[in-house]
Amino acid sequence: MRRPWLLGLLLALATAGIVAVLVDSETSGTGAENVGESGPERAATPAPTAGERERRCEITESNPGGTNNYIPDAPERDSLGSGFVISGLVRSADGCRPLQDVRVQVWLATETGGEQDNRASVRTDAEGRYRLETAPTVPQFGEPNIHVGYDGGDYGEVFIRRVVDLDDERAVVDLTLARSG
Amino acid sequence: MADVRALAFGAGAVAVAAVPVAVALTDRHLAGASAALALSTIAGALAVSALVLQPLLARARRIARHQILGVVAFALVLVHVGALFAEAPDDAWFALSPDGPTRARMALIATIALFAVVALGGLRSRLPLSAGTWRVLHAYLAVVVITLGIGHAVLTDGALDGAGTPILVVLGALGLVAVPAAHAARTRRARHRVLSQ
Repeated sequence: MRRPWLLGLLLALATAGIVAVLVDSETSGTGAENVGESGPERAATPAPTAGERERRCEITESNPGGTNNYIPDAPERDSLGSGFVISGLVRSADGCRPLQDVRVQVWLATETGGEQDNRASVRTDAEGRYRLETAPTVPQFGEPNIHVGYDGGDYGEVFIRRVVDLDDERAVVDLTLARSG
Repeated sequence: MADVRALAFGAGAVAVAAVPVAVALTDRHLAGASAALALSTIAGALAVSALVLQPLLARARRIARHQILGVVAFALVLVHVGALFAEAPDDAWFALSPDGPTRARMALIATIALFAVVALGGLRSRLPLSAGTWRVLHAYLAVVVITLGIGHAVLTDGALDGAGTPILVVLGALGLVAVPAAHAARTRRARHRVLSQ
């Protein structure tokens, strides 16, 4: 070995590069926050007060991987099994107003099949809430994850991917939509 | 005495090869899993064993087997990844993308390093590298592959969770310790040859 310092420098740079690439990543993928819950249910997001109706709520952005395994027009179903509940509040960014009768699509991998097999459309109630009971999600690709999407219409489309823990009982995914155009 | 040692090495190698795959096969994660997911999991578990055995084979001077197992390990990783693409291409592409999770980046870097270390082994006589430089590069890449390959397996929720996690950590530590041990053994042998001449 004629120039050991050069080899040492190259390997130190390679190591620094590897560490930088790993540190730069997000544990569950970009924007995939953990939305799983267990134990007593937390209070639902309250309806906006008169003063709050003047404000603008932050729009829910799609995140990378949100459309993974998405198939348009999931069938309307009451449940995808039991043991886990996915729910949330859908509202408009303008005035934070709850949106009634909006179709939300949910898909996830469970013991009965992959994400393309377990999909359902549910509609929001008068308070803007949707709810779907399902079999618990399984970690098909290294971490249990769920997808919730709104495929557009009066409001801009949003497709998100979130993760949960294996022993979670619920996931809460609220959507704040921006009017199209 | 040599026979006893060879027998003990063989028994240890079988144990290292069998334990992760046995844990994975008996985990409930694979209950009801598709054939592609089961194949991917088994190939991944066998690749873990292959990575741990590699420096142990090098230390024991079983170079022909070391070379064959290196190619086998790379093939197992390709089967592992290929089966994931068959299972869900969207998720597989996402995992490899810049937005993929940390565990997938670990896997990607480990796979590139594994290809490099196998290529380095196959091209040893054709590369314009001194023996010392080659050995340092080979050992460095081996450490990267074991560290990130095992790290990927530990961070991944699946068939090697629970009892699988401490097994992975122990196997990874064994593999990492064996890399400098292989170097020390080689240095000892070289010194012994010089002294006996």
